[in-house]
Amino acid sequence: MSRYVVQRTFPEGLQIPVADGGAELCRGVVERNAEDGVTWICSFVSEDRTRTFCVYDAPTPEAIRRTAARNELPVDEITRVSVLDPYFYA
Amino acid sequence: MSFDVPDPSDALLERDESMLVLDELLTRVRSTSVGQLVLVRGEAGVGKTALIRRFCEAQRDRVRILWGGCQPVRTPRPLGPLIDIAEATGGELEQLVGLAATPHAVATQLLRELRSRGPSVLVLEDLHWADEATLDVLIVLAARIDSAPALVLASYRDDELDRAEQLRLVLGDLVSRPRRLKVESLSETAVVELAQSYGVDGHELHRRTAGNPFFVSEVLAAGGAEIPETVRDAVLARAARLPGRARRLLDVAAVVPGQIDMWLLEALAGELVDELEECLASGMLSARATHVAFRHELARLAIEEAIAPNRRIVLQRRALGVLVDRGGEDPDLARLAYHAEAAGDVQSVLRWAPLAGEHAASSGAHREAAAQYARAVRFADGLSLQGRAELLQRRADECYTTDQFAAAIEAQEAALDLQRSLGSTLGEGDALRSLSRLLRFVGRTSDAQAAAVEAVGMLERLPPGHELAIAYGNLSHLCMNREDAGGARAWGTRALELAERLDDDEALVYALTNIGVVDFLAGAAEGTVELERALTLAQRHGFEEHAGRSFVSLVLWPLRHRMFAVADRYLVAGLEYCSERGLDTWRLYLIACRARLELDLGRWSEAADSASLVLRDPRSAPVPRGWALAVLGLVRARRGDPGASDPLDAARTLVQSTGELQCIAPVAAARAEAAWLRGEDAIVDEETESALELALHRRSAWVVSELAYWRWRAGMSDAHLPGVAATPYGLSLTGEWARAAELWTQIGCPYEAALALADGDDQPALRQAIDDLHGLGARPAAAIVARRLRERGVRGLPRGPRPQTRHNPAGLTARELEVLACLTEGLRNAQIAQRLVVSEKTVDHHVSAVLRKLDVRSRGEAGAAALRLGLTQHAGEPEAKRSLGFEPSLENESRRQRA
Repeated sequence: MSRYVVQRTFPEGLQIPVADGGAELCRGVVERNAEDGVTWICSFVSEDRTRTFCVYDAPTPEAIRRTAARNELPVDEITRVSVLDPYFYA
Repeated sequence: MSFDVPDPSDALLERDESMLVLDELLTRVRSTSVGQLVLVRGEAGVGKTALIRRFCEAQRDRVRILWGGCQPVRTPRPLGPLIDIAEATGGELEQLVGLAATPHAVATQLLRELRSRGPSVLVLEDLHWADEATLDVLIVLAARIDSAPALVLASYRDDELDRAEQLRLVLGDLVSRPRRLKVESLSETAVVELAQSYGVDGHELHRRTAGNPFFVSEVLAAGGAEIPETVRDAVLARAARLPGRARRLLDVAAVVPGQIDMWLLEALAGELVDELEECLASGMLSARATHVAFRHELARLAIEEAIAPNRRIVLQRRALGVLVDRGGEDPDLARLAYHAEAAGDVQSVLRWAPLAGEHAASSGAHREAAAQYARAVRFADGLSLQGRAELLQRRADECYTTDQFAAAIEAQEAALDLQRSLGSTLGEGDALRSLSRLLRFVGRTSDAQAAAVEAVGMLERLPPGHELAIAYGNLSHLCMNREDAGGARAWGTRALELAERLDDDEALVYALTNIGVVDFLAGAAEGTVELERALTLAQRHGFEEHAGRSFVSLVLWPLRHRMFAVADRYLVAGLEYCSERGLDTWRLYLIACRARLELDLGRWSEAADSASLVLRDPRSAPVPRGWALAVLGLVRARRGDPGASDPLDAARTLVQSTGELQCIAPVAAARAEAAWLRGEDAIVDEETESALELALHRRSAWVVSELAYWRWRAGMSDAHLPGVAATPYGLSLTGEWARAAELWTQIGCPYEAALALADGDDQPALRQAIDDLHGLGARPAAAIVARRLRERGVRGLPRGPRPQTRHNPAGLTARELEVLACLTEGLRNAQIAQRLVVSEKTVDHHVSAVLRKLDVRSRGEAGAAALRLGLTQHAGEPEAKRSLGFEPSLENESRRQRA
């Protein structure tokens, strides 16, 4: 299992309702991801909501693309990353 | 006789939702008569069977229930669950199953049976134990279930998929998307509720059992305040509460895996059978009409493992004796072999295991056959040298058929040693020839050649016979794989002459295939005709292994020449043929070829899926593995995804020693392209040099031009290379980029077409190339082309797909959206061309792109997808429903359903 950052662009801005709808939306995404062994850790969203940087644990980049297609999410770029902890040496 | 006794665990908690889902699915099946496959999965003891049984009981009056369970033994009887089902249906299905028919025939008859009656629920239980033939039935059933009014519930343990390798592969490759139902463990609330009336700490019980219903119920039934550490302890604690004689009956029952027929239990237990009521009342055993069974296989295992070894052997011997005495015209050979081994009865193992192996092989369950022969070999020390050699040979052959090459070579070498000790020239020569074939498969080409030559030398000392003809064929085969046309023809002709003299059809087919390949590669006018003839002959005479290889030849070599329609046709037919007959080795070759076909056609997601399927089995043969690794590496490199070099490095290591162009070339080309995409032009020379030399030596115009093309892209200019001009790569090399792009488009390769366009000297061509590359998701190549444009002073290039394509998830360009709108109106290409004032060929190009981006196969579907995605306002059902691409087929049909 590797960790990936996935960059996505939403030209019209990402809309996720804050109420129940949003929770349901996210749960649906999480469930569909699970079928391919993909875990969505968290996402960072740009202020204008047009770009997101999503952190995932996944077996392969193909699994990330497969789940993105199922969730109807765009993919710009997938980067495999490791953690650099600034306080590791403290 | 029915002893159904309620048990505390019979209360089904937290299953309402699952029951509701099943109810809804069945209602839909009943109202539409369209069948549905449901995969019911969950860990051992989680209650899959309990759920399905409860559901079936509730539906019993409304629909027909057919139930088939797999047996918990390592090498089960082929088609075990189908035998159960056939007993219930009777009629033609029962006759067919009795005749050891192929899985395909059984599945077809089963579907016919399901169609002939009202709606049914068909249960296939515990598929993690399924034999290969049963899994083949499942594949066919899954592909065609929508034609029968049946709800098929297939259950398996998802925590044991590592061990059930075949099931894992089958599930990964099911053509239709089945519904999945996961049976979850119990929540803490549920466990606490259950524990309440037993005075057990429910929270602790939940922690210890992780909510596994079987574990929970065993603990509760065992009573006592202590919570046992493991399921096994819980089962034994529960069993310990039985009186002595009843406890002994439990031991007797535990030596028979799965269900125990009443007559068998009576014969085994003698007077102890009186204690059955006690065992049933305690809930340890449950009874149906004609048999009893442990409440769960976990319980049986716990009891069986606790029996003292000497007593276990006594009980197993008794079981074997009873089963042998019972005999019957159609004994369960796998069961006899199982008890023979468990009883440690050497003579019986040697009697039943080979018979079980033969039976399994004839039903297409070659993996079970291989395992039965392995079982016999383990007990064969006292057998004659000849007898052992024969068993080992059969083991080697079955392992070869099922892509288990390490095991095959081990058995083959042992058989060869025995033949040497026997001093049999014929036996040794033939074993050497077999070994040669195996060694070639694992990439040990020079060892294979040496063994092949030695085999021919030995067999030529004897009067010419079948073995010699096959040995000539083997040498021809080795030459053919090296693309040594002269050698392949010379040895092939010898084989052919001898085969005709001996009237030996197998040797004839073998030689014809080898010669057919080299003639095809040499550009013979008749193309694939010779190969097709070999295939027909092989099928007519039932030489399944040779037929499988002919199918591979008819896919692999046309693929190199980019003859996709031919490759596609034989790919579909070949996959069906090999799947049905358990020819795993050739099936894997074909899937690797499918990955390449999909890559070339721009269907990268599917290509990566197919490649992963080949790679998922860690033991798969090096040749298809190398191809699959190259495809996976290329998909990643072309998308700019991470992890491209891992598969490409592994591929190089794998193919290096083969010396075969068919292995080396695709890997070299893939590595060169990936280097170019990374901007490391400097290493392309090194990556391609030796492959190019080999390709020139073998006069393979397509390979030479492809490698030369990547070298040219990386800035090298090779001297004039022979034959190159005939391919679109060659056109690019000579600056004819427009014709190259046109040719690639005609052939059906969008990525290659876009790259060719990128060599254009006018801006529109380059801009089109960037658009097309973005459409394919080829980010790195698009960036290279964009850089080229910027170097020419062009500004304002999009860095990603153009904004307007981002408004639609499929990434269609403006022109493609226009074409799509026309498609939804049902216009034909000529009409679209007229309306948009472009050529018909251009429309064809756009239509292909639209279908690919929407991941659909027909114009009708494109319209539907457009409406779903809100891509067009034009509604209305299109009239034209022409399938685009290659011949419509079951495979394409089902791929579409999967999409």
